[in-house]
Amino acid sequence: MWRYSYLISWLFFGLIIYVIFRAIFGRKSKYYKWLQKQLPLWEQGNIINPEQSDRIRGLYKLKKIDPAKKMDMVKIFSIIGAIFVGVGVMSFVASNWQRMPNYLKTIKLLGTTSFTLILGYYLSYEKEAYRKTGKALVLLSSIFWGASIALICQIYQVPSSGNWLIMLIWAFPILPLAIVFENEYVYILSSVLFVAWNYLYSTANSVPNYFYPVMVFLLLIPMGKMSIIGQRINVLALITAGIYAAIWKYEWVSLIIGVGFLIYYILKKDEKFYFYGASLSFIAWLFTFSVIHLKHPNFYFLIPLSVLLYMTYRNKVKENILFCILSFVVWIHLVLKAFNAMLEYRIDGMFNLFMFTLFIGAFLYLVGVISLKKEYIFHESYKKMGFLIAAMTVYFLSFKNIYPHQNVNMLYVSASVGLMIITLIGIGFGFVARYFNSRTDYKEIGTLVAILLAGVFLLISPKAAYLNALVMNILLIGLGIVCLLMGVDWKKPSIFNSGIAILALFIITRYIDVAWKLKEKSLFFVVGGLLMLGGGVVLEKQRRKIVERMKI
Amino acid sequence: MKKKRIFLAVIILIWIGIAVFLIASKQMTLSTGTRVVLQTRPVDPRDLLRGDYVVLNYEITNLNFGKLGIRKERHYKPGETLYIQLEKKGKYWSAVDIKEKKDRDKGKLYIKGKIKRSYGHELTLHYGIESYFVPEGEGKAIEKSMRGVEKSPVTVEVYISDSGSAVIKRLFIDNQPVTFK
Repeated sequence: MWRYSYLISWLFFGLIIYVIFRAIFGRKSKYYKWLQKQLPLWEQGNIINPEQSDRIRGLYKLKKIDPAKKMDMVKIFSIIGAIFVGVGVMSFVASNWQRMPNYLKTIKLLGTTSFTLILGYYLSYEKEAYRKTGKALVLLSSIFWGASIALICQIYQVPSSGNWLIMLIWAFPILPLAIVFENEYVYILSSVLFVAWNYLYSTANSVPNYFYPVMVFLLLIPMGKMSIIGQRINVLALITAGIYAAIWKYEWVSLIIGVGFLIYYILKKDEKFYFYGASLSFIAWLFTFSVIHLKHPNFYFLIPLSVLLYMTYRNKVKENILFCILSFVVWIHLVLKAFNAMLEYRIDGMFNLFMFTLFIGAFLYLVGVISLKKEYIFHESYKKMGFLIAAMTVYFLSFKNIYPHQNVNMLYVSASVGLMIITLIGIGFGFVARYFNSRTDYKEIGTLVAILLAGVFLLISPKAAYLNALVMNILLIGLGIVCLLMGVDWKKPSIFNSGIAILALFIITRYIDVAWKLKEKSLFFVVGGLLMLGGGVVLEKQRRKIVERMKI
Repeated sequence: MKKKRIFLAVIILIWIGIAVFLIASKQMTLSTGTRVVLQTRPVDPRDLLRGDYVVLNYEITNLNFGKLGIRKERHYKPGETLYIQLEKKGKYWSAVDIKEKKDRDKGKLYIKGKIKRSYGHELTLHYGIESYFVPEGEGKAIEKSMRGVEKSPVTVEVYISDSGSAVIKRLFIDNQPVTFK
């Protein structure tokens, strides 16, 4: 039973993080999603004109989407039919039927493959009325081609599952079919096979596969104009390949993928997917570098980070600022880790990390506040990230066990003090420049100063576990209440909801802390469950009433 | 339209060409390669892609530099290719030396293998002959005879080309070739 409690506590923790994230970053209600889908249909039916449609979208901050396509049953049945037949043939090959001589099996299968391809071409291009069936048959011929390779391997006892060369022999000859016949299904099949090839090659040879990203960037993506889904698969596969390479410490693969994505984004500015891919790949490279070169801080990372930041601001890519902020936070931690390794300083436990992160959160929030006053873009993103980082750190620091029994790390302390001073100078600058002049501004700055003061407690007496935990718990309650008040002031349900989430998290965590030590744990589960059920219903009703009032 | 027809014909020719090349390369080894009988130690899983197959482990799969009486020149990494010199000792062929491609001696028989694991003085290699496909449902019967009360020796007839590539021809259980109806 207690083995599962570890898993349950991690699942519970993950759920809490998810709830806080959604509460802070908000969520489009199902009604907004319904409206978003209806608007193009109303336009098509001339119920409203495009200007009216744009005004409605502007009012509810909805993005424009294409009208949903009607389900094409012919296409679906053709594809499913092709896949069924293909799987059936594969199973037939797998059964290794001995009644037919091998040469006859090979000739029959190759003959069927060729015939299916010819028939698919004929129906697609000569008799255009059956175009969809023709496309499905071309897909089927591609599957048959794979079955043919599998059969030859089986005859000569060559292992084919897990064989990267076989994947390549299957994938490469079908790619020209996809391109010339503009067959998106074959393109997707080919893309998936190349993904399999990538991993099998790396695993079999214990080396990074540099060919794969080069192939995807130079061949698959440029040739994949007929299939957006196929291109997305390739982009996602590249991102995953970069992360996989990072896990196996293949340093340069993630970097090549990041640079490739960045070049693609520069060439095709409207494809933000490439931009996100670049950011994620550079982060993967950052981690790999720090694992391989333990004692070398990765200052090279500042180059791609600067480029990403510049392009994020220039093209106003809101989502990417979050990646940039996160990667900056991760980078600064890894630099400190490298310096500690260089100087052979010890880092005991997670306390130093959380202490420093608390000041990072406060600093980022201040950047957001000042950006808002100076009317720079992304001020909300800085504030959201700063708040999230600070709140999560305060939550972790509210546990007594986190505090060290031995001396703290001097590099982390110096960095924390430095960041605190910069933040205080920033607050002072804000007052001098008269940025803070409303009650709400004072509430925000007051909260920021409270966080910094709590941080000072940590710096002065890091081993005073009980006192520091108490301060952090009080700060956590304070943050929750401030969010409730600010949410009402600014009429922002997401901020109000995050206040509720923080207070709920505090109550649940402290309840578990106290009740877990009871002898009767079953009582704890029953009472806790009943409280959450009842309390949750009451809380939700009250929250909705307040949020509805805010919207008026 | 004409261009597409030409392209179609080219693709079909390419597919057939690749298939013929694969068959020819393996058939060449079987026709002109050196016949070798290797001792094995089998295990039997299921291949989702192609039915039952017997996984074969050979005497030459795990090699120890000390037992072979060879000096280990350097550290070997997984994924590297080595050439194992084989000599006939009694009924079966065994490993006697480990060489890199450029160090092979002329006139001697080598089987090409890829390092899977390298630890201390031991190497685990794969030669591309680690599986033997059997018809669906026949795997268990073979496994039974191999794991029976009196275990039957399992040997494999392999053909090795001059370049070191190996192809399995037949499986023997207790010196009897395995056949399927």
